[in-house]
Amino acid sequence: MMTAFIVFTLAAIGTYAIRISGIVLLGGDRELPPRVGKALSLVAPAAMAAIVANALFLDQTEWRGFGAWHLAALVAVGVALWKRSMGWTLLTGAAAFAALLLAGL
Amino acid sequence: MTASSSPSPDPRTRGFLRIGAQQWRDIWAGIRAIAPLMPGAVVFGMAFGALIQVVGLPGWMAPYASSTVTAGASQIAIVEALRQGAPAIIAIVTALVINARLALYSAALAPVFSAFPLRWRLGLAYLMTDQSAAVSVLTAGAWPDPVRRRWFILGVSGPFVVVWILGTAAGVVLGPVIPESWQIGFIVPLMFIAVLVPALRTWPAVAATGISITVVLALKDVPYGLNVLIGALAGIGLGALVPERRRDPTAGESETPPEALP
Repeated sequence: MMTAFIVFTLAAIGTYAIRISGIVLLGGDRELPPRVGKALSLVAPAAMAAIVANALFLDQTEWRGFGAWHLAALVAVGVALWKRSMGWTLLTGAAAFAALLLAGL
Repeated sequence: MTASSSPSPDPRTRGFLRIGAQQWRDIWAGIRAIAPLMPGAVVFGMAFGALIQVVGLPGWMAPYASSTVTAGASQIAIVEALRQGAPAIIAIVTALVINARLALYSAALAPVFSAFPLRWRLGLAYLMTDQSAAVSVLTAGAWPDPVRRRWFILGVSGPFVVVWILGTAAGVVLGPVIPESWQIGFIVPLMFIAVLVPALRTWPAVAATGISITVVLALKDVPYGLNVLIGALAGIGLGALVPERRRDPTAGESETPPEALP
């Protein structure tokens, strides 16, 4: 428990340093070097994809048995590509997951 | 009470919490701009609050993390790393790599915030989230007056963080009530699919996503949840080598052609 408290606190301090980095270092007209900007723009897709893959396909370090998780995620990805909307993706993904659980998958 | 009933009262005499009526209107405009994204933050916060209890941490830790780290993806990554027995340093580094994206928002907001007093810049930075940064960058152009703009951005970012913290607390309270058979953990991949996939529009981003997933799964037996950290870093590093494909064939063809890729 103490470990978790320390980890959250240090992560909070480091994250705040990241949050103020650009605001403090880049006053008004200075801009990020293009390469740095491009790498930073890939942090969100790469990090989120890593979390999705870890949570969806793995259960701790074992493969998750094929079922409702995979099928509902497939529905969510399909709707996300079609509607390009976060709200619709959440709604249909959750509805598909509930329906699959009710169907006994 | 010195406020008169004249048609245009001095805002300073009408203040609530010593904030004038005009400022409250600007805050309210900010809240309206971000309101459509608030339900997602509540659900995500509840998932995090429930997760804290699933792994056996005390309930107060959830709102503590949400009000200090204030970045849900990294908070979940920390919990997952600790659950797998990772040393503290690995959990912290994983969280900071995931949150490195906030540096990009910080750079994008630098010109938006440049006319604000330092304490406003430091305070608004604390309240910066993926959602509020996006809304602030998109709408700041409509607020040329820096004083009114800072109140507007306070409305965009402040209440959103409050809603996120309240959602977290609600998750702690409701977590034990929700039956295990509902498998509420599915909200974690679902939430990130909902944020990630609709925004996938460039080839480097698609490549980063594919590489990241492949590496995470290939390294599934690596301890301490390090597969997430290595997968994200591989996606960022290799994805950065992929050139943007230009929509307009007449623009920027002097750069490396896509065929030159490994």
